[in-house]
Amino acid sequence: MSTTLYHGEPNGPSLTVLAALFEKSVDAHLVAIDLTKAERHQLAVARQPELAMGVEGEGPVLVVNGEALTDSVFVACYLDDIGHGTALRPADPYERWSMMAWCRQIIERTAPAAAYLGCKAYPPRAFPAALDAIESVDLRARWDAAVAGHSHAEKIADSENKIIQTVAKIEARLNGRDWLMGDFSIADLESYAWLAGMTELVPAAFEAAPRTQAWMDRVKARPAVQKALALASVAAPERCWAPGPEINRWG
Amino acid sequence: MTDVTLYHWEPNANSGKPMLALMEKGVAFNSHYLDLLSFDQHKPDYLAVNPQGTIPAMTHGHRVLTESTAIMEYVDEAFDGPQLMPTDAQARWRVRWWMKFMDQWLAPSFSMIGWSVFVGPAVRAKDPDVLTAAIERIPLPERRVAWKKAIYGLFSEEEMAESQRRVALGIRMLEQALSEREWLASDNYSLADVNGFNLAYALPLAQPTLSNDELTPNILRWLRAIYARPATKACWAMGRTAMVKRVSILEQPHIGGGNQS
Repeated sequence: MSTTLYHGEPNGPSLTVLAALFEKSVDAHLVAIDLTKAERHQLAVARQPELAMGVEGEGPVLVVNGEALTDSVFVACYLDDIGHGTALRPADPYERWSMMAWCRQIIERTAPAAAYLGCKAYPPRAFPAALDAIESVDLRARWDAAVAGHSHAEKIADSENKIIQTVAKIEARLNGRDWLMGDFSIADLESYAWLAGMTELVPAAFEAAPRTQAWMDRVKARPAVQKALALASVAAPERCWAPGPEINRWG
Repeated sequence: MTDVTLYHWEPNANSGKPMLALMEKGVAFNSHYLDLLSFDQHKPDYLAVNPQGTIPAMTHGHRVLTESTAIMEYVDEAFDGPQLMPTDAQARWRVRWWMKFMDQWLAPSFSMIGWSVFVGPAVRAKDPDVLTAAIERIPLPERRVAWKKAIYGLFSEEEMAESQRRVALGIRMLEQALSEREWLASDNYSLADVNGFNLAYALPLAQPTLSNDELTPNILRWLRAIYARPATKACWAMGRTAMVKRVSILEQPHIGGGNQS
């Protein structure tokens, strides 16, 4: 079986998948690409719908026997299934539901907010020719806005609010436990990966959240996360952003 | 006797997903019908179960579960009965990818159109003061915005055009996937199909110029195959509104282009 992981700098979804891969000792060929230059859309598998139309926006791509697997939480579930060592998901069905429901809230509410604020602070630099390869019309629109430095005060406020709410939820959840689901899981990786860059951009969210800060230190100290961060080609990978999921269209 | 209770609206969209999954698994459950059009989901009795006021929710003993797609995975894992997730890890990834794509990209566009033609007009006839009070009771701010838009018909032309663009593209993607595989995400019937049917069961009626036996033969084959399953028949028989009775379009042996019946 041939497995290749195309990943960006270890931040956001690339960090989740790289760390999950190392946690589970999965053997894969690692190829660094620059997500902030839209290089993902130059890959041979770029026209597969699961890459071109992925809800996550710019994230890593795990190519397994020619099929492009995208969406960091689900790729992490896949790695958990095929890899070795300690499980990254709870065994009990209810705890497992709790983890998947938690991740759903992160990918639907936190991820769009973090990517929006990240792209505003550190706009991606893709050239027009690279953008022309993007098949999804709505992803392309998010790219155009990000590259041009366009942002809306309303969306900034909404995004900052969602980061504040996420941290408050994590702070409450960590009462009496080290990890979000009890044992370490994909929920810790996914939540941490989107929040790592937010301590600088929404500092107020973390001010009264000592448990969250200690939890972030614990996640960062894990050997698999350290190994992922060591792949960075820049000093501050948490400042590398490309367009993520769209902010809910309904309100 | 069962210790499973499902709080749901019609066999449609998010409510229908755990309903159909439970019925496919053969799990008996207490059905607690919430009338979305009377805002039952924002009343104190239900907010005591799910403070977010979103439908559906399920209780299993003392456990409370929300988020329809996550509930379906729980139902598949926690109960005996036919497996609704593939055994192959890569196929399981594919099931989850398609469910997220439908839940977060395609279904909101279908429902914007559905709310503007069905839910909005059905609710708008109510007393304006009752409506104002009902909107004020909605716990999640984004749901409040969504309901306001639906109730007062505030979807802009631009928003509706974007939803229609996504519906047209989503139909092409479904047809392509179903031309490559018998079922949406794997070689066996799975939660992706349960999810997809809830989205698309009335597709040839709602989008007759985009989906019919000539243009999308694989989608129609797939919808009819799911509708033929006993669990689907029993599930849709629980529907009370004209909206879900539209499923009977699938009884027609041939649905030609431009069908408006």
